[in-house]
Amino acid sequence: MPTRQPVSFGTGEPWNAGLWVVVPAFNEASVIGDVVRSVRDRCPNVVVVDDGSDDTTEAEALAAGAAVVRHVINLGQGAALQTGIEYALRRGAACIATFDADGQHHADDLVRMVAALRSQDVDVVLGSRFLGRSENMPPGRRLMLHAAVVLTRLTAGVKLTDAHNGLRVMTAATARRLRIVQDQMAHASELVSQIGRLGLRVAEVPVTVSYTRYSIHKGQRLTNSVRILTDLVVGWLLR
Amino acid sequence: MIIQFFLTGLLLGVALLVAAQNATPRLMRAGILAVLAAGAFFVWAPETTNAIAHVLGVGRGADLILYLWVVITLALMLLLYLKLTRMARRITQLTRAIALMQASAPDADR
Repeated sequence: MPTRQPVSFGTGEPWNAGLWVVVPAFNEASVIGDVVRSVRDRCPNVVVVDDGSDDTTEAEALAAGAAVVRHVINLGQGAALQTGIEYALRRGAACIATFDADGQHHADDLVRMVAALRSQDVDVVLGSRFLGRSENMPPGRRLMLHAAVVLTRLTAGVKLTDAHNGLRVMTAATARRLRIVQDQMAHASELVSQIGRLGLRVAEVPVTVSYTRYSIHKGQRLTNSVRILTDLVVGWLLR
Repeated sequence: MIIQFFLTGLLLGVALLVAAQNATPRLMRAGILAVLAAGAFFVWAPETTNAIAHVLGVGRGADLILYLWVVITLALMLLLYLKLTRMARRITQLTRAIALMQASAPDADR
């Protein structure tokens, strides 16, 4: 059992000082409470962006102690992330993490990612399941993610091992410069290409991604990648 | 003969609608009206499409019209899709503004 004591990095303040964790959620009532509680064990500032859920996601998140921002209609994960990031900035966040609502991520990984952000002097830290571990990843999912890595390396010119991990930590200054306009799932590629364009300093930290039947069901299917590519082309045309 | 009057009437109706669109840029309106006028001309002088088609290396005038129709339709679909995406982005901004406005004020929650 990992320690619940705040870890300090020698600066005198707790490791999570000024950290806000953004959790985009759409119809995640059955898991969101546990996810929020697990994150709040490490960091008190959690904002759940309820992306127009029609279940009790909002109530569960509030009961677990998160701040909740609610989209009145469903927009997509990219839009929810941007809303959550803007909320965190308004609350005076010094650094901002993004964290999936489906229970795939582990709050302990946040500690090491924030440590990397502070110690390696980078703008953004991305979690990598391929440097770290993934539990019960379906082979199709693995293939799709590897294809995405190759694609982002070619289009964004950023060398990553895992381009589509929902676990990220960035400084507030970085969060202000990034702007997600891809409302749906193309936001992950969009973020990487913005990182490339802005010349941001990136570090990857190994993290564990646990696949459950629930998270696989909620996750991306191969057919969605066609949609993502279309969105990226349209986004490029509108730029 | 009947079809020619029918098509001309239809084109005229569309032309009136387009002319009344004050929101559309004047140049765009003029362009659309020119295309409609060309259409009316070809309705009454269909052989000319054959001549143009031959110059371009297409067998028949009707085929040329079909090809142009397909290209124009696809271009219009793309423009419409871009317009829809732009509109979706504005809805996103609106939804986000409402969400942030309704969020519990700093220091007031918890």
